[in-house]
Amino acid sequence: MIPLEHWIIVSSCLFAIGVAGVILRRNALVVYMSLEMILNASNLALVAASRYNGNLDGQVFAFFTIAVAAAEVAVGLAIIVALFRLKQTVQVSDVTTLKL
Amino acid sequence: MNSSNILHVLNLLTPEIVLCGLAFGVLLLDIIFFRSDSVEHRHEQLGCSVIIGLVMVFFIYALQYMDWQNTFVVGHGAFVASRLNTLFKMAVVGLALITVVIGFKTPYSTHVGEYYGLMLFSVLGMVFLISSEDLLMIFIALELISLTLYVLTAFQKGARRSVEGGLKYFIFGGFSAAFLLFGLSYIYGATGHTSLREIAGALQGDQLAKVPMKMLGIGILFTLVGLGFKIAAAPFHLWAPDAYEGAPTPVAAMIATGSKIASFVALTKLLLIGLPAAAGSALSWPTRWHSGWAGTVAIIAVLSMTIGNFAAIMQTNVKRLLAYSSVAHAGYILVAIVAIQASGVPAPSAAPAIYFYIIIYALTNIGAFGVVNAIGSKAGGDDFEHFTGMARRSPYLSLLMLIFMLSLAGIPPLAGFFGKFYLFAAAVQADPKNLGLLWLVAYAIAMSAVSLYYYLKLTKQMYVLPAKDPRRVTSNPAMNTSLGLIGLMVLLMGVFPNKVVERFENLNANPYPIWEAAVPPPPQPEIPVPAPAEKPAVPAPAAPAPKS
Repeated sequence: MIPLEHWIIVSSCLFAIGVAGVILRRNALVVYMSLEMILNASNLALVAASRYNGNLDGQVFAFFTIAVAAAEVAVGLAIIVALFRLKQTVQVSDVTTLKL
Repeated sequence: MNSSNILHVLNLLTPEIVLCGLAFGVLLLDIIFFRSDSVEHRHEQLGCSVIIGLVMVFFIYALQYMDWQNTFVVGHGAFVASRLNTLFKMAVVGLALITVVIGFKTPYSTHVGEYYGLMLFSVLGMVFLISSEDLLMIFIALELISLTLYVLTAFQKGARRSVEGGLKYFIFGGFSAAFLLFGLSYIYGATGHTSLREIAGALQGDQLAKVPMKMLGIGILFTLVGLGFKIAAAPFHLWAPDAYEGAPTPVAAMIATGSKIASFVALTKLLLIGLPAAAGSALSWPTRWHSGWAGTVAIIAVLSMTIGNFAAIMQTNVKRLLAYSSVAHAGYILVAIVAIQASGVPAPSAAPAIYFYIIIYALTNIGAFGVVNAIGSKAGGDDFEHFTGMARRSPYLSLLMLIFMLSLAGIPPLAGFFGKFYLFAAAVQADPKNLGLLWLVAYAIAMSAVSLYYYLKLTKQMYVLPAKDPRRVTSNPAMNTSLGLIGLMVLLMGVFPNKVVERFENLNANPYPIWEAAVPPPPQPEIPVPAPAEKPAVPAPAAPAPKS
């Protein structure tokens, strides 16, 4: 059986790739996909931990996370579409009406 | 008291069920009966029904509060019904009520039913967040609040500011929710439980040796990042000014008050019930600084107070000013959260001080947002220049704003002063012999002196400078009355602060109080934990045995 550490390392790698994507990419849709990748990294960690802890809490958690991620897709895409209608762009770097 | 009877559970959940039904009911009413009416008319009809419904829910909570002596736990802490939680739920529902009143008939969009429906769903999320003591429920309730507030922030679809604020809120929010989930998954991985009390049990005594500390540490750190975003603590505050400025003012009020209360309650529960054993210590650096969440929270508190106060000085928009001031206030509250577990045992006065301060902060802020909404919608904007000479154009609203600003700054007769007093006194008392947290308290007091400058800058704008436009600014009677009531409450809570704090302290005697940190773990989960952990290991050596 593969030890828990290996799963944790894979999930950390996925997490790091996701974070890098959110920080480095400028396209709102790609940023959005990277966010999903972080959520999936957590799902992997949850399911692996659930197997090693010997209870099902983690797997239930993962199912709920999938549902929440789907809800987030709906909201996120709606906001991106609203932005596109106003500005004809989905580049995050063009969104500068409000100063940071 | 563990409740497993389904009827009993339904009975406990009555107000939440009513709230959920109300949210769907508003959506249905709008579609079925009012689709063809004018927007104004729909606002009146739906707004009134939401107000009636929320008053009803408020009274159900009030009855529960008076009626209950025990604490009821559903499913290992997924839903905990206690008097303290009910008090917070009453506060959240009350704030939602005020939000609906101050946003009444301000047409941000033609989607009236959706506006009220989403607002009610976010209140539902807050209510569940307050009463959950389980990682899964905390995550889902937080997401319910966040998702509805993203949509509400971007609700003025035609306005660039609104959509842009919504996008920024969404991206930062999604990022931090992902961090939170990752952190929670590591905490679950390290301890094997999702219920906060079982996690505390797994971290107790000789159980602690079995827990992988590095994994737990990473989990706690990422969870703090995720929750730090929700309470807008620096350095995770970048969304706050943009979201507040872009969002319709009632929605900004909701983000700044209701969701803050719920998130702070969730944060204190997570740290005090779930992870008291991992507190470490932030006393008098560097000699008595032990690694744990206390040190991290202390650093976040210092950063929040510094960045919040100094960035607020430079603002020229009232909503952005309030955003940065809320970052600073999050810092003050975090000072007491550091204190609560500072000397190994729970400090008795810290938790009531935190709860008192959260309530006062929310009350004062919703009042300030109400005034900004009333003046902003008539004067054409919420920059400082729109507030110039407002004392002559609208003496009543200006007086209220003066009260709220002085309370936020912490001037003696008002509630804000006593809130800060209890907060800092609790932090000093946490380690009475060595005054280990004095460095943090001294810094917080210095920073609240800085904050006086920008609050007074706004009042100077309103009271000293002459008005360019002499026309009077008036608002409708309902708004005037509710804002006046909030002002009165801020005054009264300053005159009789002990009456409110006593209420929180009395709850200390509750058999199941939320700051009772080290609860003896329930006996059943203790024994099976090692057994299943070995189970996966057993088949592996067993498998080669038949071969040989």
